[in-house]
Amino acid sequence: MKRTILFLSLIIAITFASCKKKETPQPTPQPADRGLFILNEGTFTYANSSLSYYDFATNTVENNLFFRVNNAPIGDVGQSLTLIDNDLYIVVNNSKYIYKVDAKTIQYKTKIEGFTSPRYMLQVSADKAYVTDLVSTGFWVLNLNTLEKTFVETGNTTEAIVKVGNEVFMSNWSNYYTTTETSNHSIQVIDCVNDTLVETIDVAQEPNSMVVDKYNHIWVSCSGGYMPPQDPAIICIDAATHQIIKRFDLASGADYPSYLTIDGAGENIYFMNGGYGTLNIYKMSVDATEIPDTPFVTSDGKVFYNLKIDPTSGDLYVTDAKNYVVNGDLVRYSADGTLIGTYELGLIPSYMLFN
Amino acid sequence: MLFLLASCAVWAQDTIMLPSVEVEADAIRPNQAEAAMERKMDTALLKRLNTITMSQLLIQHSPVFIKTYGPGGVATASFRGTTASHTLVLWNGFQINAPSLGQVDFSTIPVYMTEQVALKWGSGTSANSGGLGGVINIDNNQHFGEKLILDLKQTYGSFNTFGSYITAGYSWASHLLRVKAYRTSSDNDFEYLNIGVIPHQVMKQKNGEYVDYGLMPEYQWRRRKSLITIVSWNQWSDRNCPQIMPNVNNDNTREYTDNGYSRNFVSYKTYWQTGKIETKAAYFYEKQHYFLESYTDIGTPVTQINSKNDANVVHGIADLYQDIYRSWKLNAKIQYDYEEVVSNNYTGVKDRDILSFYAAVTGKLLKPLDLRLTLRNDWVDWESKGFFPTATLSYNSLFVRGLTLNVGYSHNYRNPSLNDLYWYPGGNENLRPEDGRTIDGNISFNRYFGSLSVESTIGTYYSKVKDWIQWVPTTYRYWIPENVNTVIAYGTEVHLKLNYHINNWNFSLTGNYVYSHTTDESDQQLIYIPLHHANAFAEIKWKTWNMTYTVEYTGERKTSMNPNDFYGFSLDQYTLQHASLGKQIKKFYAECRVNNIFDVQYMAVLWRPMPGRSYEVSLNYKF
Repeated sequence: MKRTILFLSLIIAITFASCKKKETPQPTPQPADRGLFILNEGTFTYANSSLSYYDFATNTVENNLFFRVNNAPIGDVGQSLTLIDNDLYIVVNNSKYIYKVDAKTIQYKTKIEGFTSPRYMLQVSADKAYVTDLVSTGFWVLNLNTLEKTFVETGNTTEAIVKVGNEVFMSNWSNYYTTTETSNHSIQVIDCVNDTLVETIDVAQEPNSMVVDKYNHIWVSCSGGYMPPQDPAIICIDAATHQIIKRFDLASGADYPSYLTIDGAGENIYFMNGGYGTLNIYKMSVDATEIPDTPFVTSDGKVFYNLKIDPTSGDLYVTDAKNYVVNGDLVRYSADGTLIGTYELGLIPSYMLFN
Repeated sequence: MLFLLASCAVWAQDTIMLPSVEVEADAIRPNQAEAAMERKMDTALLKRLNTITMSQLLIQHSPVFIKTYGPGGVATASFRGTTASHTLVLWNGFQINAPSLGQVDFSTIPVYMTEQVALKWGSGTSANSGGLGGVINIDNNQHFGEKLILDLKQTYGSFNTFGSYITAGYSWASHLLRVKAYRTSSDNDFEYLNIGVIPHQVMKQKNGEYVDYGLMPEYQWRRRKSLITIVSWNQWSDRNCPQIMPNVNNDNTREYTDNGYSRNFVSYKTYWQTGKIETKAAYFYEKQHYFLESYTDIGTPVTQINSKNDANVVHGIADLYQDIYRSWKLNAKIQYDYEEVVSNNYTGVKDRDILSFYAAVTGKLLKPLDLRLTLRNDWVDWESKGFFPTATLSYNSLFVRGLTLNVGYSHNYRNPSLNDLYWYPGGNENLRPEDGRTIDGNISFNRYFGSLSVESTIGTYYSKVKDWIQWVPTTYRYWIPENVNTVIAYGTEVHLKLNYHINNWNFSLTGNYVYSHTTDESDQQLIYIPLHHANAFAEIKWKTWNMTYTVEYTGERKTSMNPNDFYGFSLDQYTLQHASLGKQIKKFYAECRVNNIFDVQYMAVLWRPMPGRSYEVSLNYKF
């Protein structure tokens, strides 16, 4: 009898111990008129990606917006954000879908599923957007009204995406895990009226990011790949003629340029570069004839992960992924490179978008 | 509340530990210092529960914590707050940790394929490298002279889960031939509340089907002073991998594994009045193939990952036990291991040689004091990794019968896995082995009070692992393993087992409670290691009836190294309760079982669904 009582009390003790409730979601402040969305990638396969918002007016960051509003995770590896009208599209790479939420309230609207490895999304006309794909040799055409999608085969995978006039430029960065051999060092030019491949421009190995400057020149950073490292370069293409007009070759094995971005006026490009262990930020005029030797901002022990320039103030916003297993930081520098502040974000903060 | 839980768990134990039965081989019985850092699991319990997997057995009946991805998914062990790589698993003395990953998937080990399971920790792990958290010994054992051996078992349960098990053979006075075989399969399509989608939705798990089967022929030949054993353990498993909760609608994705192994050994034991020597050789083959396929909407296949690892391992062991003087005994062992992995994740075939020299002496220092000292010297690729000593001291109380006090010190190391060294890209050939030191102590009290037997232990440990290997990110966006951390693990373990029989009744109660605090240099608890976990098992037997009740408790777990996990990404504690009722009818034993009686919805791994209440019936025929 005594043992029965003891045993029952054990069960009761354990049952009660497990009754602690999950924290209830707090009412969420809505994103302000001027600020910065930051998408935290989270750990691959953990589905702990999250959305943060930095409010310029209050100088504060709100984290986990998506989860707190919708009571569900964004998914596995949040890759990029796109703002179209009042809707925020969240491209979730390893979950293979795109969430569409209200950009003001972050309320869930719908989910577009069935991609293979979506990366970046760009609106190309009033009712059409393109979505690039890491492993499929082509891109997706998304009807923004019906949210139906079709796949356009181009022969190579697609990554960074920019639009000039009626032409869309997509870089071919990856050839990982693809069933077909892809070139891995080209820019594909798409006619965005007919969704057809117009031309393929050969650049350098692994073109990872692209921006358009004030002359409608397209700047491409090519990281050069690894094992073995080969031919990293920064390349400038005339969007009108599709010709390479400038090429800055970098040191194989020592340089790894990535996360190329540009200021609001289209006059200076910024990119990250460095070798094993350290990535620094470099700034370069679009009229420059030489690549800068010295960093504009040094990482000083931070693990720089992504970079954006405030188009209005010229301030630099950099994410610091730290050791990838604790929450990263948003690091803000003034236009002259002076540290202004750091703000805690989520795990592996990466893509940033101004609203 | 936790104190109450702990104290209840202390009070709540049962089963009687039977001494090891293999008398002919174990000519020399271990002294207390040898037994202090080890626990044998109840062989009667193993027989009764032999249709579950080793992962279920350990989490429900031992202090070892299991991290499981769900039925048919990977299950790894965390022993004393360490990670899966720090749990060494020995099958009849041979390491079965995959040389590529360094871990063992306990979901692929059916309890049916074994007769003895023992846990060792601290100085008990001295004979091999790798068990910085602990060692799990899995052994086979069959008696001679039992004539016809026939055991058939069929189970059927929820989610169309089948299990068929057979042991057949014949055991003569000096020959023994036995074959074990099994097949398990499940649709594994349980219903669960998907909290990873918007809105939350009750759905059935998709793409979780699995089929496992195994075959283990065994032959033994006993002569007057020697024993020859040949065993071959073969298993195949085809398993689909379900998607995590947010990704459930990815019908264009297929993820599956095709794994298997063949573990074979020959052993020759010869014994004399004061000792024995065992020489054995083994060849193990292990296949781990993982596929991830996805398709574009026009059906173009995009094979994303096709990972193939094939391992060939050869072991050779010579193990001597000899009485030296009075109570003093010597154990000396020489072991050679050769590991080779052929993988499309490496550049070329990679291999490793390990040569190990080991000696242990045990004996009585004073009348109540038992001592055990060991020393091992390992050579990896013909380079010495140093000397690794352990010491255990046991005091048998002269005043309270059955009370012993044990303290131990051990120094051991773990080699990086071949993935750590050679994975492409990222593998780091300059990794140093991990170096672990442990001090531990326990008080145990084992005694019979008439028809009541008590077996209890309360213990504590402190371990420091230097050069802890961790994969860290680089600017190239791929990860590289480095010796980055020092990890400190300490904790408390409580074990209690009570057994009471009167007339036709037998009551038993077993419980384990573990507090495991494991932090790296950032002083944060490591992910997926609960601070608290516990289990309790009650069994009532009346004539031919048998009733059991199992409770397993898992505390909150973190999934990041942040001081505070965001509530959406931390894993809540949960308690599962299971019950069974069985009856012996002549040579048949029929049982029905309810798992997760209270239909608790929980996650063991972030966004991996787990089954709610489920049922199982089984029928066993034993000749």
